[in-house]
Amino acid sequence: MTMTWTDWQAIIVPLVLAIGAVAVLMVDAFWGAGSRKWRHLSVSLVSTGAILFGLGYVVTQQNQFRPGFCRTAVEGPAECSLIFEPLTAGLWAVLLIGGLGVVWLSAYRLLDRDIPVGEYHFLLLSALTGATVLAGARDLATVVIALEVVSLPSFAMVALRRDRRGSEGALKAFLVSVLSTAVMLFGISYLYGVTGTLYLQTLAARVPGLDPDLRRVAFAAALFVLVGFAFKIAAVPFHGWLPDTYAGAPVEVAAFLAVVSKSAGVAGLLVLVVYGIAPSGVDLRIALAILAALTMTVGNLAALRQREAVRLLAWSSIGQVGFLLAPLAVGDAQAVVAYLAAYVVVTLGAFGAVAVVQRHRPAGLLTDYQGMLRSEPGLAAALVFFLVVLAGLPPGLAGLFTKLAAFQSVIDADLLWLAVVMAVNVMIGLAVYLRWIAELFRAPAEAPFSVNIENSAVTVITTCTAVAVVFSLLPATLFALLS
Amino acid sequence: MNGVLLSILALPVLAALALWALPSSTGDRIAALYGSVISGLVLVGSVVLWVGYLRPAGAITLEAGFVDPGDRGSVPGRLHAFAETDLTWIPALNVRFHLAVDSISLPLIMLTALLVFLCCLYSLRITPRIGRTRSLIALLLVIETGVIGTFAAADLILFFLFFEVVLIPMWLVIDIWGDHHDPAGRRRAATTFVLMTVLGSAVMLVGFLLLYRVSGTFDLELLGQIPVTGGHGTALAAAILIALGLAVKMPLWPLHIWLPDAHAKAPTVGSVLLAGVLLKLGSYGLVRVLLPVLPDATATIAPYLAGFSTVAIVAGSLACLAQTDVKRLIAYSSVGHMGFIGLGIATMSPEGVAGALFANIAHGLITGLLFFLAGAIKDRHDTSDLRVIGRALYARLPRIGALLTFACLASLGLPGLAGFWGEMLALMGAYRPADGLPRTTYLVMMVIAGLGTVLTAAYFLRLIRNLNQGDPAEHPATAFAVDLSRIELVTWAPLVVLTVVLGVCPWLLLDHWTFL
Repeated sequence: MTMTWTDWQAIIVPLVLAIGAVAVLMVDAFWGAGSRKWRHLSVSLVSTGAILFGLGYVVTQQNQFRPGFCRTAVEGPAECSLIFEPLTAGLWAVLLIGGLGVVWLSAYRLLDRDIPVGEYHFLLLSALTGATVLAGARDLATVVIALEVVSLPSFAMVALRRDRRGSEGALKAFLVSVLSTAVMLFGISYLYGVTGTLYLQTLAARVPGLDPDLRRVAFAAALFVLVGFAFKIAAVPFHGWLPDTYAGAPVEVAAFLAVVSKSAGVAGLLVLVVYGIAPSGVDLRIALAILAALTMTVGNLAALRQREAVRLLAWSSIGQVGFLLAPLAVGDAQAVVAYLAAYVVVTLGAFGAVAVVQRHRPAGLLTDYQGMLRSEPGLAAALVFFLVVLAGLPPGLAGLFTKLAAFQSVIDADLLWLAVVMAVNVMIGLAVYLRWIAELFRAPAEAPFSVNIENSAVTVITTCTAVAVVFSLLPATLFALLS
Repeated sequence: MNGVLLSILALPVLAALALWALPSSTGDRIAALYGSVISGLVLVGSVVLWVGYLRPAGAITLEAGFVDPGDRGSVPGRLHAFAETDLTWIPALNVRFHLAVDSISLPLIMLTALLVFLCCLYSLRITPRIGRTRSLIALLLVIETGVIGTFAAADLILFFLFFEVVLIPMWLVIDIWGDHHDPAGRRRAATTFVLMTVLGSAVMLVGFLLLYRVSGTFDLELLGQIPVTGGHGTALAAAILIALGLAVKMPLWPLHIWLPDAHAKAPTVGSVLLAGVLLKLGSYGLVRVLLPVLPDATATIAPYLAGFSTVAIVAGSLACLAQTDVKRLIAYSSVGHMGFIGLGIATMSPEGVAGALFANIAHGLITGLLFFLAGAIKDRHDTSDLRVIGRALYARLPRIGALLTFACLASLGLPGLAGFWGEMLALMGAYRPADGLPRTTYLVMMVIAGLGTVLTAAYFLRLIRNLNQGDPAEHPATAFAVDLSRIELVTWAPLVVLTVVLGVCPWLLLDHWTFL
């Protein structure tokens, strides 16, 4: 029997989130027949507390190194399953901010009345638990389990409204996810068979020493693992499930999928690439680069043709993931985390704005936004800013500089062709968002959109705008998430 | 002086934000007046900078900012920083907030400030039919910040950033206030403009990053002192990408396809700024980034650049001969004139570059005037189609007709007016290009470009003939045909005066480009 030891501080954040998940379920169950409003509020507050604890931990412990579930290895340093280190801190910060945003986007009156609030928050916090574990995971078994913990609650959340579109979207996502897990497990089993270990660090050390035939097997196996992840983050050509799922889910859940679920997938892939299966100079990185080029091009081109706001955001999020995969393919963690942070904040904001409009105009067409800059100037100005950040043009400097960092890391890795593909995609991406911005700027329609916006929506959108403005004026803060 | 530079940079954009904060019912006149005051202040600030640059106070000698005598004949375009601001901004990317100006950028900044000021003044009385003048003025001010920032940037990423600032405002100006007869056309023109330009600048960014890979810095001042030598490999790739990106903006044939539509559909003030100022971003970038930073690689691509410029001169002129729309005609004439500028830069010789810089300013003044005139004619006839407008403007609108003749003559390069010197110097440069460039090729191009000047003369004279001359009896005046109004006189007079002054005293500018 081997000795294992754990620095409990390494897993305190996922632990608190998990306890929070159980707590919201309890609060909801034992509330009784009291006011709906207060029940919703207290559940939200419990979730917020758990997430804020995590954020506080990340802020105070940012530069620490805390291993969890370690055992002494036969050769080399100890093998650990979960590690808290600066990279983990950066990813956790992004994930938790995204989760917090979704919690407040789902505040009372914003969330559909049919959705049971306790279950909703339970699922949300469970997924966040999985996401945080995934960002810290350092062995393949933990990666798979954490990924499942992120995924399973997501399907349930998509289907929570219990209508036809929701069920269809959830089923699609579920089937694809099961398939991708199977593919990934297949790859992992081969990797284990070839190298005899599941720990990423040992794996990375052993692969170069294999004999050529086995190395080919390892390459194919790693490719399977990547494909599994590609399904989860909806990289092209494994993206087919995403638009229908987003469109079928309530807007808040779509925001959750685009922000937390997607970031978790990217975080897991980043960990795998940086620490395990694809150290620099490996062909796998070329495969990832090709995946990036395909994903951004197809995502942006398809987004050009969308007429519904949520579908446009869905396709454009595929395009954004393509851009994220570019620095990821060359292992530049700093650029990935910065990009992810900017993406999370403005995507939250954009979904928040869409949620506000969609509650009153359920069709969710782009033409519903016509003339909003005149009729609803605050909301429209914020939405324009979010879209401009997503496009990466001034005044959205947060988007511009994170794209710049992505370009820089790609060029540093001598992938000039990828940089050129990215340049073309900057253009296509701009075309996507300009269609929406143009609607906002047009002369108002006969019945322009103008409503009393709920306070918590105002709070979330304003906060997102403020954070995006800070990121734009002081881009150094973005890159300080992981220094 | 760096305070002045920072304030002329920040003032327009802050003023624009303040303007947007006002209720949308703000009167058009008030908005235009506000814009005029702000842009007037910026103009004053830029002149103060220029005066300060010419008369350095105290210990700094008159030579400050000038090239050392030993440097004469070296590749021009190096930044000799004046009014410098240098702050750390994004350490992770090694990007600094570094602003500085010199004798190359200051005249362009003054030109920008002048044209924006005149556009705001013009909007006091004459605005596009769509209305929403408050937003139009605010966008013009944002554009002003972007352009001045590009001219003042001393860091490649900052240059890129300001370069991009202009895009969305200009897109909106064309998309919202453009030709009200053709909503689909103006939308398409605006989108083509913004997409081509953004692709260009993204390609340019890739070039900058390659340059960074080789040199390890984005700082233009530093890069000017220690240029990246070597005319092949990464340096060459960087030079090609940067040149491509800037060529879209300039625009150089065959990347000019966005230009005719954008100019033709834009409102008058949009066309004036587009032609007078935005095109200069491309040529300025070539002089500032390509020549001093990548001299060897630029020498490798210079003959091609010169070739495309020559084609642009001829193709632009031929296209002009075929136009029936007065705004499109002037737009295509810009392609030809920017061809001369490209040719001048591509010679890499002191004469050629000085000529290109001079032509930059002259083209801004003259084409600005031409677009104002075209807008005036279009407003009076509600169309810019030459066949519908009819002939005999001399009889119907004598003053506007005379001014049009003046602007056309200036634009075709009549000696004694501003348009002449730039083209002459560019041709001189082609006669004696920098060492290492294939002289015979350049001689051929000089001859072709010389033929291009004849073509230029031909289409401008044809324009004068088709528009101004003719029997007034056959072409009765339209109902709105009021001759030169007071506001038009006021806004155009500075352009006319400066065209004459620069034509008679070219040394006012040329003396400061001492690499001559």
